[in-house]
Amino acid sequence: MTSPGDAAPVRPPPSFSPGVPRVASKTRYPNQRRDSSPALDSDLVESRIASSPPQPPLSATAAELPIRSASPYARSVRSSTPQLTRSSLGSPTDGRFDGPDDIRSLIIRSFSPVVGVYASVDTDELVRQKGFQGGFWELIRPFGENVPGKIVVRDSVGASRGWEDFGVRFVDLGGHPETSESQNSLSQLEAALEKQLESPDNPLGGVLRPKDFLSFPTTSPLYKSFLRQLLSVETPTPHETFRHPVASVIVISSRNTSPLETLRRLYADTSSGDRRQPEWVHPEYLRYYVLVHDEDRDDITESTKLYDQMKRHFGLHCHLLRLRSNQCVVTDDDSCQIPESEWLSPSERLSGRSEPLVDLDTDGLPYLFESDVTAIKAFVRELVAQSVIPYMENRVTVWNDQVASRRRGISGRFMSMSRRWAGFGSGSRSSLIGSGGGISGNFDLNHGYYKPDVPEAVLRKMADFAFMLRDWKLSASTYELLRSDYANDKAWKYHAGVHEMCAVSMLLNPLAMPGKTKIDDINQMVETACYSYMTRCSDAPNALRSLTLAMELLKSRGGSGIESAAKWAMRAMDLGLVGSIGQALFSERISACYASRNPIHGVKWGSRHRKAGMWSVLAADLWLRLGNPSLASAALEEAERLYADIMDSNGLFPMPDMQTFVDNLRHSVRMSYFEARGLDIGEDTAPADPLETLETEETSEKLNKRNHRKSLINNPVETGGFNIGQEDDNPANDDFERA
Amino acid sequence: MSYYFTILSPTDVPLFNIAFGTSKSGGDGIARFRFPDTAQYMNQFIIHSSLDIVEEAQWMNGNLYLKHVDTYPPASAYISAFLAPSGARFLLLHQPPQLPSTATGSGSSSLLGAGFSASALGGGSSSRASSSSIAANPTSPQTEEAVRQFMNEVYEVYVKTVMSPFYRQGMEIKSPVFRTRVTAAGRKWL
Amino acid sequence: MTQPRHSAMLSISNTNPIPIANDKQQPPSTQIQNLASTGLRVPSNRKTIYDRHLNRTRNAELSRAGFAFLFAEMVTYAQRRVTGIQDLERRLNEQGYPLGLRLLDLLYYRTMSSSTSSSLSSSSTSAAPPNRPLRILPLLHLIHGPLWRLLFNRPADALEHSVSPDTPNEYMITDNDPLVNTYISVPKEMSMLNCAAFVAGIIEGVCDGCGFEAKVTAHNQPTEMWPGRTVFLVRFGESVMEREKVLERAGVK
Repeated sequence: MTSPGDAAPVRPPPSFSPGVPRVASKTRYPNQRRDSSPALDSDLVESRIASSPPQPPLSATAAELPIRSASPYARSVRSSTPQLTRSSLGSPTDGRFDGPDDIRSLIIRSFSPVVGVYASVDTDELVRQKGFQGGFWELIRPFGENVPGKIVVRDSVGASRGWEDFGVRFVDLGGHPETSESQNSLSQLEAALEKQLESPDNPLGGVLRPKDFLSFPTTSPLYKSFLRQLLSVETPTPHETFRHPVASVIVISSRNTSPLETLRRLYADTSSGDRRQPEWVHPEYLRYYVLVHDEDRDDITESTKLYDQMKRHFGLHCHLLRLRSNQCVVTDDDSCQIPESEWLSPSERLSGRSEPLVDLDTDGLPYLFESDVTAIKAFVRELVAQSVIPYMENRVTVWNDQVASRRRGISGRFMSMSRRWAGFGSGSRSSLIGSGGGISGNFDLNHGYYKPDVPEAVLRKMADFAFMLRDWKLSASTYELLRSDYANDKAWKYHAGVHEMCAVSMLLNPLAMPGKTKIDDINQMVETACYSYMTRCSDAPNALRSLTLAMELLKSRGGSGIESAAKWAMRAMDLGLVGSIGQALFSERISACYASRNPIHGVKWGSRHRKAGMWSVLAADLWLRLGNPSLASAALEEAERLYADIMDSNGLFPMPDMQTFVDNLRHSVRMSYFEARGLDIGEDTAPADPLETLETEETSEKLNKRNHRKSLINNPVETGGFNIGQEDDNPANDDFERA
Repeated sequence: MSYYFTILSPTDVPLFNIAFGTSKSGGDGIARFRFPDTAQYMNQFIIHSSLDIVEEAQWMNGNLYLKHVDTYPPASAYISAFLAPSGARFLLLHQPPQLPSTATGSGSSSLLGAGFSASALGGGSSSRASSSSIAANPTSPQTEEAVRQFMNEVYEVYVKTVMSPFYRQGMEIKSPVFRTRVTAAGRKWL
Repeated sequence: MTQPRHSAMLSISNTNPIPIANDKQQPPSTQIQNLASTGLRVPSNRKTIYDRHLNRTRNAELSRAGFAFLFAEMVTYAQRRVTGIQDLERRLNEQGYPLGLRLLDLLYYRTMSSSTSSSLSSSSTSAAPPNRPLRILPLLHLIHGPLWRLLFNRPADALEHSVSPDTPNEYMITDNDPLVNTYISVPKEMSMLNCAAFVAGIIEGVCDGCGFEAKVTAHNQPTEMWPGRTVFLVRFGESVMEREKVLERAGVK
């Protein structure tokens, strides 16, 4: 802590500068009141929205494309070839709202396919030598989160779309996640946020928040962190398959003496041995075989020979990854710091190394040789583009043909009423026929899950795959199909999940701009999801997730969705799903929701700035109670920005109680701000005092100054003859004395 | 049911404020809001924030009485609006009493005023009040009708005030007779 | 003076002189509810303005002579220390403006409290209370019909829209023989003056009260048959015109 003497002059937090002129006085007519800035803003917004490239009609796109073979091998090189016609299309999220870093993209990326990692002992040994105690998984994990380059995905009607922000999530197949975690993950989340706030040099707690040139507030980093952690819950559950592995990487190294046998043994472990997934996880998933070649110690010709052998035995899903086994230190010429993993769950953040200890090289983020980084990136890209995506596309196509289309047809609709009776008839895959033993369809009441091969589970998995491939049209319709099934079976958690994801899919689908009725449908689904999660399953984390997703996506939809968005955020607070930091964050978020609603062009109504301002003030109050004056100050500053054209020419609220409250809040924020800096309050506040007294004087007389008409003729009442009460302060009004 | 009634000038200056409780079904006419005494400013914040909606509804609907226009869910505060033709806004915030059973123990939410006064509200009076039709459902037709009658009566008294040559548009209404009349209207209808 | 009756002025002069319970007579700082302790001057019959019925005088009429004297005095008052005709008209306008605001409230109150009455039936004949005008035309009809009837016991004589494409925001309300000018003959050197600027102020008050920013002026437009013919030019502000477009798109009538 620096002493006041030698410190640079303390800049007061922005909201304390009392001399800031407010926006011109409020008249009743917006065009006089304000300069053209609102119109400018909305124009800019419109142009930004309009700048997102138009999408070709799907039918036309589909017609040009050849019918795809179902086999992933046939076109495994497709994704990496550069002449892709549609790769020039931006992804629908590009430039649409806040740029690539926006919340929508974050939500989409949080539902990335999961790829399990299972490495042989010798591989982990090699990687540990490089300084990664967690083994091979820890080494490649950060690189999966954003696959370099554009990933092209084809949807169910054959249209291709390129995505810049595609990613996969690597999980350690070995470490079985403890199941008790999800219960207290909300309190962990709160604790993690607290830790982040408290860490001394954390940029998240800082006063300054970046504002873009339109002075629209960007999302606070702390909130983004909250959202990321909320969406990072790693425990797989039966009711949704997002955390079930889509593929698993089986890794050996060039040090292995019996490589093929080891690969077979590792495979056996994942399918029937101790690395087997729980029985509600579909046992069939893609296996991908990797040979790690030790560049520093082993002979590349040997490894190449082994690699060819692997390809002969295991097919094309193989990769030769050439890594150096020496540890890289920061002083090495081509050292590269590996990026921090973006998707850390709350528990990882709590136990993680957010504060570097003494030795940066060993305990901070580790370093890698640049050649290693390039090799890993190439490996991840090849894995995703040539194996994982085609595999998923293929599964979606197959399941769509074999299961979903039956349900969608006319007969399917009848069948859904009496599914048991018809079963799935002579399906080509016998495994798809429901076991049919239970009284209530295929739902195993005792264990509370569907077996992975029954139609209900397969459809869910297919919808989840489509969702992860960002084909939200297909996923929405599939989820919709499932809603009644789960309700009939009283599979409440499935029921909640499918409502949640149906609403999310509809909101994410960029082609369907929902009208009022659509928003009502979505609200109904969110309501159902929340009720099922909370009341029927007491699953608070998922309830919070569904409310938060609904809020964010409705917000990004704009228009009448804003009201619903704010409503869901308030619901989350009301249900007590968030802790005290979360309350403050959500208050800010509600404010942001309301603030994002712009007035209708040409008239003064349509915005929600008063509501937004109120929530910012409430957030400031909450931050202050949490002992964080700098965040309180930021929220207060935001409130003043929002209230700017509500307040009168003196910068005062029309309502006295509000004014008093905000004045007190401002004062307390300033006090605790200086206290937190350890400054002597007495001398620092002295210069500000005259301004403050000035302000209170204005308060006392402001009521008399208001009058009704602010239009063309200035102050008719005061200059006219009718105001008895104001002779003394209005010299123009001396007619009465003279008369 | 607790009420906070305010008259706002076209420039949002409050001309008149009054807080009162229901007198129906054995209510004693005393307001018991869900905020603690130190947080009564919330009433003004909520009223003020509802102006966003009122201003929008004002131009979509030509009625004087706009019915229930806005809700502040964290405190279940409902706002009804009446627009005097010359631009003054009559806003009534009504808040059903908090039933002891609905006081979910989320201590954190009380920071926003939602969960405060469960203990302050005696179980007896609140349950009696909530049995009346008006308090039971703030958006029911009966409530809308009762509020309409209240608003009409206040409007009459307001016109009388406005007609006085000593009253200018935009001045605070300080007349004790006016206050008595509004209180009486509240007792009669709400 | 065969028809010396004037209802609206009466209603105002009737309620005005009894401002008993008004705040200006109590010290502003001590706002105490107790009537006895405020030092309010309560008339001996204990009746305040709040005890009087607003509709009792709705059909009562006033001596035209009384009105003429009152208005003459108002013009004289406004004339003090004016710098010119425009200044005088501005003052008359400002005297009318608060009246317009009040009349608006009274007008709606009277229609609401006796919706069977036909005196305001130009906009709607149904029993439901009339709507606030949201668009320009209903507002002008309100002025042309009910307001004029309340003030002068007859509707105005014409309502026109500017035909010039440059001034779509201009409307004209014509009164062939304005009551306020009946007993006023303007001196030659002030021939531009029209004392109906007072009525223009009333109209402006009504427009503004309804949320239509407007500037209203009175102009002499004599014809052979009507030497006192006066045109009230209503010019709406830009914000009103913008709003018209939005409301038109939204289908608001």
